[in-house]
Amino acid sequence: MTAAALPTPSLERAHAVMRRGRVISAVALLGIAGVYVMALGFTPIEARQGLAQKIFYLHVPAAWSALLAFSLVGIVSALYLWLHDPRLDLFAASSAEVGLVFAAVMLTTGPIWAKPIWGTWWTWDARLTLTLFLFFLFVGYLSLRTAVHDRHERARFSAVVGIMGMILVPFVHLSVYLFRTLHPQPIVLKPSAPSLPSEMLRTLLVSTLMFTLLYIGLVTLRYGIGLAADAREERDAA
Amino acid sequence: MREAIRLALVVAAKDVKAELRSKTALLSATVFGALVLVIFNFARDPTALSSTDLAPSALWVTFAFAAMIAMNRAFTVEREHGAFDGLLLAPVPRGALFAGKLLANLAFVGVVEAVALPLFVLFFNLDLSRALGGIVGTAILATIGFVAVGTVFGAMVVRTRFAELLLPVLLLPFMVPPLVGAVQVTSRLLADRPLSEMLGWLRILAAYDVVFVTVAALVFSSVVDE
Amino acid sequence: MPPEPPINGGYTIAAYVVAGAILLAYFLNLVRNSEK
Repeated sequence: MTAAALPTPSLERAHAVMRRGRVISAVALLGIAGVYVMALGFTPIEARQGLAQKIFYLHVPAAWSALLAFSLVGIVSALYLWLHDPRLDLFAASSAEVGLVFAAVMLTTGPIWAKPIWGTWWTWDARLTLTLFLFFLFVGYLSLRTAVHDRHERARFSAVVGIMGMILVPFVHLSVYLFRTLHPQPIVLKPSAPSLPSEMLRTLLVSTLMFTLLYIGLVTLRYGIGLAADAREERDAA
Repeated sequence: MREAIRLALVVAAKDVKAELRSKTALLSATVFGALVLVIFNFARDPTALSSTDLAPSALWVTFAFAAMIAMNRAFTVEREHGAFDGLLLAPVPRGALFAGKLLANLAFVGVVEAVALPLFVLFFNLDLSRALGGIVGTAILATIGFVAVGTVFGAMVVRTRFAELLLPVLLLPFMVPPLVGAVQVTSRLLADRPLSEMLGWLRILAAYDVVFVTVAALVFSSVVDE
Repeated sequence: MPPEPPINGGYTIAAYVVAGAILLAYFLNLVRNSEK
């Protein structure tokens, strides 16, 4: 059963989508710049951890965005195998690429935060380990896409990897959990304390909102670029 | 149902026979496995790290990489002979096809593990008199899981240009939970710990197998068919 | 008097710069691709 070709995507429509994506992303980036100011200038310094704790306001939202991106890749992949709509495949691919970027942010800010707080560049805690897995799954997913040239095959294969990746995550989580209950890691400080003072919570929420908005903007933009590429291909083939 | 089982066995037998003729996958994987074990042995400081501490990790890293080589070669050989396309044209139900490929891959990986295990006992000077049954059982349990995933991914990458690189990149994240579980159980077996300490890990291994064999069987037709 | 918080602002600056750079670089890359 072959997937239907994209409904003749006018190049104009693709450009409209890209424009929307650019605007949303730009707004989100400005919002994040605002978060920078908010976090550095208008949020109290945590007493035990000092200034380095502020990395938290970027690290956690980035992790959340990466997880959001990944979940959507999984869900949309399942939908693709059911509905065979190539737009679903394009969305999944866009989400994977954007997710990779957020995972990279998470994996760079994580060690930079861990070193002053825990004294070590890396800890195998649940969040970092899981994000590392997401990173490798994204890399595998995107590598596979570059290696498969037939678009129907590429969509099917990507969907399979997306679904299997989604199913893998609970097992990774279980393994990390079981490992840590047996080998408790010495935790010098617990950065995400359950009782966050309201100003810190406020900054964190605003940052998460902006990161989510950035996810939406970047995926829209990336999706539009894909639409444009397909439109040009069809036009050139005609 | 009977017919499906028979077909699966036929598919598996064909693969195994082909490999027995050329022996490329088995040979490269076995040599690789032996080499890794030797390196592990020389790489450690015997005063700092006892062999029983290092052994489970060394064994499972060996199994993991040798298994990947075996699975990769198995599909590559088939592609080179164009046999896979022929197989797809035949009216074999995809479930049976998957089962056949899975069995064949399990056979290949099983042989590699069976060769690596005595080498492992030899190089690490281990006493397996009590643990042997447990280790073999754990090996079977862990292997089924990642070979199921590897069978699906192998079918995907077989026609791509960098298949040998792409298979590990895709498969390694999926090998981590079974490997972690296997290492945890193996090290407890070697230390003669009670079963209760291993149950959690064994449950994860079993759950992984059930889930991923099922999922792999379900998605296999999406991989091989239009 | 409570202990002074540790001096680790350098890490904060590094993290904020790196994170911003990654996000900005990707965004600009996409913008460049979208204007082709």
